[in-house]
Amino acid sequence: MSAAREQQRQELLRFLRSIQKAGLPVERLADGDPLVASGLIDSLAILQIVTWLETTYGIDFAVRGIAPEDLATIGGILEVIGESAGRSPA
Amino acid sequence: MAGSVIVAVTRPVMDLRKAGPTFGFEPGMLEGLLVVLLLATWLWGWYRAARQFRSLPALVQRHPLLCLHGGFWLLLLVLWTTQPAQPPVRGVLVGCAVALPFLLWRLGYLLLAAQRGRLTGTRLRDHLIYLWPTWGGTDTPYGKGHDYLKGVEAQDVEALARSQLAGLKLFVLALACAIGKDLIEGLVFGEDNGIRRALGGITLGIPTLDAHLLAPRGAHPIWTGWAALYFELFRLVLRMGANGHVIVGCLRLFGFNVFRNTYKPLLAETIVDFWNRYYFYFKELLVNTFFLPTFTRWFRQSPRLRLLAAVFAAAFFGNLYYHVIKSAPLVRGDWMALAAMFNPRLIYCFLLATGIYLSMRRQQLRPGATAPRSRPRRAVAILGVWTFFSVIHVWHRGEASFADRVDFVTGLVGIG
Repeated sequence: MSAAREQQRQELLRFLRSIQKAGLPVERLADGDPLVASGLIDSLAILQIVTWLETTYGIDFAVRGIAPEDLATIGGILEVIGESAGRSPA
Repeated sequence: MAGSVIVAVTRPVMDLRKAGPTFGFEPGMLEGLLVVLLLATWLWGWYRAARQFRSLPALVQRHPLLCLHGGFWLLLLVLWTTQPAQPPVRGVLVGCAVALPFLLWRLGYLLLAAQRGRLTGTRLRDHLIYLWPTWGGTDTPYGKGHDYLKGVEAQDVEALARSQLAGLKLFVLALACAIGKDLIEGLVFGEDNGIRRALGGITLGIPTLDAHLLAPRGAHPIWTGWAALYFELFRLVLRMGANGHVIVGCLRLFGFNVFRNTYKPLLAETIVDFWNRYYFYFKELLVNTFFLPTFTRWFRQSPRLRLLAAVFAAAFFGNLYYHVIKSAPLVRGDWMALAAMFNPRLIYCFLLATGIYLSMRRQQLRPGATAPRSRPRRAVAILGVWTFFSVIHVWHRGEASFADRVDFVTGLVGIG
């Protein structure tokens, strides 16, 4: 895993900790585990993730398009960040 | 292969011939075949456009769904303004207008996937299962589009078996829902059906919601009004389960282990949760087509307004639009009939959107609330959700006038 992706991952985990439901450690989730179905966040939190990605990484979803499935896992979100940075995720 | 092609052509022709009279036309076989040919060409054209998405004009790249629906409205405009009287031309144009809503939402998923660069390495045949579903379906694409289906597709024999077993389970559940629906219709509402006859014709004989709405004030006691409201909701949920489980069951038999369309909505403790569980793929359609595009484009500086606009774009405008474009008065250009048909639904969609927005805001204001509620509190919450959806259903459809509906609702709480 590249240093940039690892840094993005840590930033994402920090953010998820700030919006997650109590009592479910985000560290337990693998990159492919579903965030909503695992109970870590509710489906509305996807909107908070969208807003966070817009402000933190400047992603314009109006241009890129968006589907809830893209943001359903940690790996999916990292992929969106990777794509926006113009490089494929490591 | 040849069999699939035959079904792919004949099924829509048969469906058109069946639906035709509602829209004031009776297509012959030739007209039906011409419609299918034109629709297939239209679909192919959009597929080609989606494949070359990055080379399309900037306007199309930024607003693919608007452009897609623009084509449909252009067709309606031609139909309204030229009023072609010749049977083959008129029949073909009306046929296309009637059938296009079925394709619009499916092509929407294709274009949204193209916008996100998700069509790489796919062929047309990979998309046909949702674009042109010979196995059935409704205007709402169950299983959404290709990338969603790809994500839940069985990758090995064991996963396929698991998916198929889940599909069979859904068929059993669909049967149970159908029996439950018949029980309500027979034993509660007194409709004549096999179950009621088998049980010796017994019934509570509560008038249906429609009967209550059309009856003069005071014709029925208040308690039957409330009973009709709640049982109508139960009937709707069971009907949704009976139909949706079959469609999702088919997809699961094909190895796409997709979410259920209806998942225990009567246990939902919030309005937004009920909306999520009651008709999942319709909600997803509204979210993907209206909610997210609005949320990502408008009022970014104002979180509350942003959410409000997105919710109303989906649950109010989108919900209304979905039903308007497949209505007979629109195709006929009969504005008075269109207004009469959708007046109550306007209220329904407004109340629904307001309820969903308030429910979402309430949920947002309680982040991290995971402590399970006590049973009595859960029961109260569930009853509240039932009541909300039962009452707004008064405005959902039917023949009753606006005044009749207001009269009924106020009568429920003893006003007037």
